[in-house]
Amino acid sequence: MTSRRGFLKSGGLALFGISLAGGIPGFLAEAAASDKILAPYKKKKTMVCIFQRGAMDGLMAITPFTDEALKAARPTLFMSAAKGSSNNPLIDLDGRFGMHPSMKAFEPLFRDKRLAIVHGIGSPNNTRSHFDAQDYMESGTPFNKGTASGWLNRAVGLLGHDTTTPFQAVSLTSAMPRSFYGDNPSVSISNLQDFAIQMRGNPMGANMAAKSFEDLYGQTSSGLLKETGKESFDAVKMLQKTDTKNYKPANNAVYPNTSVGNSLKQIAQLIKMDVGLEVAFTESGGWDTHFNQGTENGIFARNVEDLSKCIVAFWTDLGQYQDDVTLMTMTEFGRTVHQNGTGGTDHGRASCNFILGNDVNGGIVHGDMRSLVTENLEDGRDLAVTTDFRSVFSEVADKHLKLNNDKVLFPDWTGNKIGVMRG
Amino acid sequence: MKTSTKFLYTFVTVSLSGLLLSSFFNGPQLTIRNFSFPYKQAGLTERQAAAHLLNRFTYGATPGQIDEVVNMGLEKWFEKQLNANMPDDSLNQALSQYDALKLSNEEIASQYPRGGVIARMAIKDGVINKDSINNVLDKKEYRQKLAAYMQQKGYKPEQELFRQFLNQKILRAAYTKNQLQEVMTDFWFNHFNVSITKNQCAEFIPAYERDVIRPNVLGKFDKMLLATAKSPAMLLYLDLNSSVGVNSKATQRGNKAVMNIAIQNEMMMDPTSKKAQLAKKFQQAKKAQGLNENYAREVMELHTLGVDGGYTQADVTQAARVLTGWMVYPMNDGYGDAYKKLADNAGDKLARGGFVHEGDFLFNANRHDEGEKTVLGKQFSANGGYQEGIDLLEMLAHHPSTAKFITNKLAVRFVSDAPPQSLLNKMAQSFTQHDGEIKQVLITMVSSPEFWSAQAIREKTKSPFELAISSVRSLNASIKQPYQLYLWITKMGQKMYFYQAPTGFPDRAQYWINTGALLNRMNFGLALATQRIPGISFDLAALNNHHEPESAQAALATYGKLIIPERNLKETVKLLTPMLNDPQLVNKIDAAAGKTTVPAELGLPQADDMMMNDNTKAKKGKNAGLKKVNADFAMVSLKGNNSMLSQVVGVIIGSPEYQRR
Repeated sequence: MTSRRGFLKSGGLALFGISLAGGIPGFLAEAAASDKILAPYKKKKTMVCIFQRGAMDGLMAITPFTDEALKAARPTLFMSAAKGSSNNPLIDLDGRFGMHPSMKAFEPLFRDKRLAIVHGIGSPNNTRSHFDAQDYMESGTPFNKGTASGWLNRAVGLLGHDTTTPFQAVSLTSAMPRSFYGDNPSVSISNLQDFAIQMRGNPMGANMAAKSFEDLYGQTSSGLLKETGKESFDAVKMLQKTDTKNYKPANNAVYPNTSVGNSLKQIAQLIKMDVGLEVAFTESGGWDTHFNQGTENGIFARNVEDLSKCIVAFWTDLGQYQDDVTLMTMTEFGRTVHQNGTGGTDHGRASCNFILGNDVNGGIVHGDMRSLVTENLEDGRDLAVTTDFRSVFSEVADKHLKLNNDKVLFPDWTGNKIGVMRG
Repeated sequence: MKTSTKFLYTFVTVSLSGLLLSSFFNGPQLTIRNFSFPYKQAGLTERQAAAHLLNRFTYGATPGQIDEVVNMGLEKWFEKQLNANMPDDSLNQALSQYDALKLSNEEIASQYPRGGVIARMAIKDGVINKDSINNVLDKKEYRQKLAAYMQQKGYKPEQELFRQFLNQKILRAAYTKNQLQEVMTDFWFNHFNVSITKNQCAEFIPAYERDVIRPNVLGKFDKMLLATAKSPAMLLYLDLNSSVGVNSKATQRGNKAVMNIAIQNEMMMDPTSKKAQLAKKFQQAKKAQGLNENYAREVMELHTLGVDGGYTQADVTQAARVLTGWMVYPMNDGYGDAYKKLADNAGDKLARGGFVHEGDFLFNANRHDEGEKTVLGKQFSANGGYQEGIDLLEMLAHHPSTAKFITNKLAVRFVSDAPPQSLLNKMAQSFTQHDGEIKQVLITMVSSPEFWSAQAIREKTKSPFELAISSVRSLNASIKQPYQLYLWITKMGQKMYFYQAPTGFPDRAQYWINTGALLNRMNFGLALATQRIPGISFDLAALNNHHEPESAQAALATYGKLIIPERNLKETVKLLTPMLNDPQLVNKIDAAAGKTTVPAELGLPQADDMMMNDNTKAKKGKNAGLKKVNADFAMVSLKGNNSMLSQVVGVIIGSPEYQRR
């Protein structure tokens, strides 16, 4: 630590071009020469979650195209996998399920058995309120609103080692998501560039202010402020190692310039900087398709195209880090089997989700979806929930991050895992 | 004997009439001042004690306020705050520009319909084509049509309502003389949290805070509990509004309709017939109906007993049954019109049927579970109707677990994150002894040595809202664009009124202080002090009565004391002094500061358009004035500049010492 201070005192103010006095923490400076960063900021396994807010129509994303009942229920929304049925038929995954053509970026990952799909996933609580269903899914307790913490925050608590980095759990959102509520350290930030002391047009002033702040927080009698202050300045310096603004994705990956794309790009940056990121979160909107959701074109098609392209860009960009990362999507519920009177679908029950990683049991549409004849539907109208979301979330957390204490992660749940992960 | 009787008589008349008079004007007054604060025993001076009081019961001391409190006497000051009836003329004047603040829930529902509701009404009225809603090509045209429709109908966007509400909140916290009432409003709102993230309840939140929370914050706990339970915001947020008893008339009727074989046959034969359609509606309605336990659970876990308060799942279910039928009275919001007419015209019939209509609240006897229930060992006999819900809430409000739970929360808010048990015992006892009167519990708390102990002084960490408001109070700043402060408060980690869970924001330092949030606090200090937050202005020279500090060090000491009074700032001054003693650096900073102009925007999303428009003229005038002041100051202040001083002030506001209260 003395080396860190020494570094600041001697060389800090020389670095005027950038927005903060000082460079990287001393021990990092030592390590910077070599390619590997030393502990405690070392490479970690990372679980990335994307919440699709608004309830994705799982039956349109991954369509059981042989199901006549679905065809009958969706006269203008049903899509076929038959070649020649349209310019853009569904991508036939296994003779029963077809992937929306706008998700074609996903196909190689699925064929490669890195991408798994779970169909019929949802919550045991049959609320069809976005608010309630998201709340339950994010708290991980589908019948208890008062649960103070979110499941991802509890996951952080189960990692079993002290927080050594400010970037252990990061949400690329402007406000702390419900999933991150809780006592374990986590950060929500909409843009990594906010990690700096800033004075517009006055970088020198910012440098000086940063140095003053660092001195003040280094000396305060409040343990919490001192500790967090140190972490904050370490975080700033860690990010300054790389030029976050002019980040160049690897392997020619191209992120769509969308909110999900920008979030995933920043998550990839953190992962590749080896700053100890273990739980990452972001969200995607626009899934509440009550009106004219479209088929091969339209809102839904644009949404799935964006989501799949962003995820694939992220995966490509990760390159050699792929082994360390598993990504999972989630949505609060699915949509009605029948299309409504306005070319859309209303709030339903089960949907599907995507899990991507080298430890994923991919190339399979998991779950227990039955034929969509009326007697199989929940309340006579919706795709029934046949896989509890907690069964999938807990399996991914267990297999990828070695978090096997389901009592803490999902307190009221005692179910079985369905084998979405390998081994 | 005679004299003493006479004396007693006079005394009673005088105090009674005084009581009547004052309660006529401002509600019940605290008539006795039999408390005193044991701060001397804790080794504090009167000024230090005043600073502590202001730290805990206001949104931060304004310049000179410590003197005011000391001159008035600490106890007297506290008593005035407890009575919360000081006139707020200038604040009210500032708030008069917000026309939505005085509207009733009913008026809000009809003037600020939810986005989806407007679209549906526009479709119904044939103004827009339902197919165009999500068609990108038509989007602009669609928006224009919708905007024209809204204008024609007199509808305003919900966003405007929230903007006014948030602006109001910030101005009130910064400027009200009744600071304690406002601090308590924050405390109780958070305790009985509702959230704008839940659409259904969002539009009722402004009136919830205004009518349900604020008037009750220092009164009796049971009164506030009942008021929250019956408010549209809470009824919708925790779903009591949609809870229907299994043994209720509504359910039985629905069952009958569905079971009616003739109708079922008709549905098979001719699904388009009117009867069949009606039956289908019943069927659908029935599906949505049923017992909802959310409110019943949270009222015990979060509002009264606490999670370890000694209730079981069976108690939750039984309590949910007791409260079936509690709902929002139908409103003219585009949906409820027909129901409202029906209910309005029912007149006496409602009351005879056991219905209760009070303002926005309706007890719908047809949805009430008429069976017998038992909650926490207390039996509620069959056909208890509305009254059994009241009895249940009164029982919860007076439960010993509630006394403990509530007073613990108060102590955490006002004393420290881990208050001593000895204090908690006293406060819980006071709560019970005074029938849950919050004023009395606060008096007990402040009269206890624990409140003044070294373990309590500056032990609380400011929330982002507290930090922002205390900063503008410290600098005597004028706020022309409150929404800009709201954006910063959000950035620092507290999106006001958007906390999703019914727990409310955690009241713990650990929750507020994390790396991202802490950096934003520092950046906030710098942005504010260098006057880069649009619409927030102040005069640093005036703060020190235009007295020139003799040296850089003196400036630091002077302004440190002004902003963080009665605090030991030796270390802070020592650490910051070298920065000011490097003339080369100072000059460079000044040069850089001189080159930049104040940006209109700080790269923050959503400029406060409405406020900008309102204040364009005022802002220009103000800026011109400011420049002059600054120019004057520049000549007399340290080393001929003010930007260095602004920066010092920014660092003080972002410093660890200023995060504590």
